Amino acid sequence: MTRHHPDSLSLMEYSAGNLSEPHALCIRLHLDECPHCRSRVDTLDSLGAVMMEQQPKVTVSESMFDSILSMIDNEPAGAANAAPAPRLSPLQKLLGDDINKLPWKRQMGDVSVLDITDRFPGQSEQVVLQKLAAGGKAPAHTHRGEETTIVLQGAFADQKGVFNQWDFVVLDDKDEHKPVAVGCEDCITLSVLSAPVKLTGTFTRMLNPFIR
Amino acid sequence: MSTLEQKPASSEGRKDPWSQLLQKVGKNQDRAAYHALFEHFAPQLKYYAMANGMASHAEELVQEVFVSIWRRSCLYDWRKAAASTWIFTIARNQRIDMLRKMQRTSAEMPVETEDLWQIPGDNEDEPVTSLHRLMSERRIRESLSHLPEEQITVIAKVYMENKSHQMVANELDIPLGTVKSRVRLALNKLKVILQDQNV
Repeated sequence: MTRHHPDSLSLMEYSAGNLSEPHALCIRLHLDECPHCRSRVDTLDSLGAVMMEQQPKVTVSESMFDSILSMIDNEPAGAANAAPAPRLSPLQKLLGDDINKLPWKRQMGDVSVLDITDRFPGQSEQVVLQKLAAGGKAPAHTHRGEETTIVLQGAFADQKGVFNQWDFVVLDDKDEHKPVAVGCEDCITLSVLSAPVKLTGTFTRMLNPFIR
Repeated sequence: MSTLEQKPASSEGRKDPWSQLLQKVGKNQDRAAYHALFEHFAPQLKYYAMANGMASHAEELVQEVFVSIWRRSCLYDWRKAAASTWIFTIARNQRIDMLRKMQRTSAEMPVETEDLWQIPGDNEDEPVTSLHRLMSERRIRESLSHLPEEQITVIAKVYMENKSHQMVANELDIPLGTVKSRVRLALNKLKVILQDQNV
């Protein structure tokens, strides 16, 4: 059971479809495991529908319905009732079946990272996976800009509490923390950094969300 | 369809006319029901497309949404979402999808739009508390009628013009904090925030 949730304003931006892809991914991964937030998003989706219903209406061209009918007539037979393909989670599509076996780059002590920004072409944020070895500690650090994090595996603890799998947390430059991986698994998180940063030389270490 | 036009979705669940029509499309590929949905929702969808800056592709978006409604209607379940909510989420996803495809090739998109933005009822195994979901549409309509104009303006810009809270602040020339507090006040009335506190 997750204990740390996205705030209502972020869920609203999600429901409206205004979030960047990496941010939407963080929210979606949380929603898949959190019935509470899913029901909040259901309400927000209905808000979108009611807003749309209360706006002005714009007449569509007369021939449009006929062209839609000819489009659906050209659908492959049975498409309307085709069973949905077996579903891979977005995480599997992005990262494969075992996130422990990715080409992690050991950074310092217990911390490894993997930059996956290139999986989100055209987005301005940096997207980083971080792994803190089971029982390991990251040095105290703060955050530059705003950093949205979701726990993908294991758990970490800091002075604000324990963050378990699918917990959601947003940190900024006012949050200094010293996370420790708790439990017997490596703790793996996905973070989206709002301020675009360059990963070069010694900066890599400084800009790593765990060690900064 | 004029009787339906006069009281759109004013009743809930089984009685919601649009949800019933959508169910007919899903079960029987009922083209008369499909046409009735088109008459009602296409003008709303065209406004949505124009408001969010897709003017030159507005009709294309409406068409794509309706083709998608036809394809997916077999998955529609009125207990999981009212028709209007379901159609709104399809329109939202179609807009995002069109924008993504204009910007890059599909080879560059390992994750599909629907992997990121869910349509209610798709791939959901959990039992549904239909009453809760459908109640919320009625509650939203009622609550919205009591909200101050300034709050509705902000919400409309977020949902219809697809502006971030920061962009709304810039446009209205008010601080970001003011935009956020207007949204919070509105969401509080809509009981989205109240649910935060029960966590």
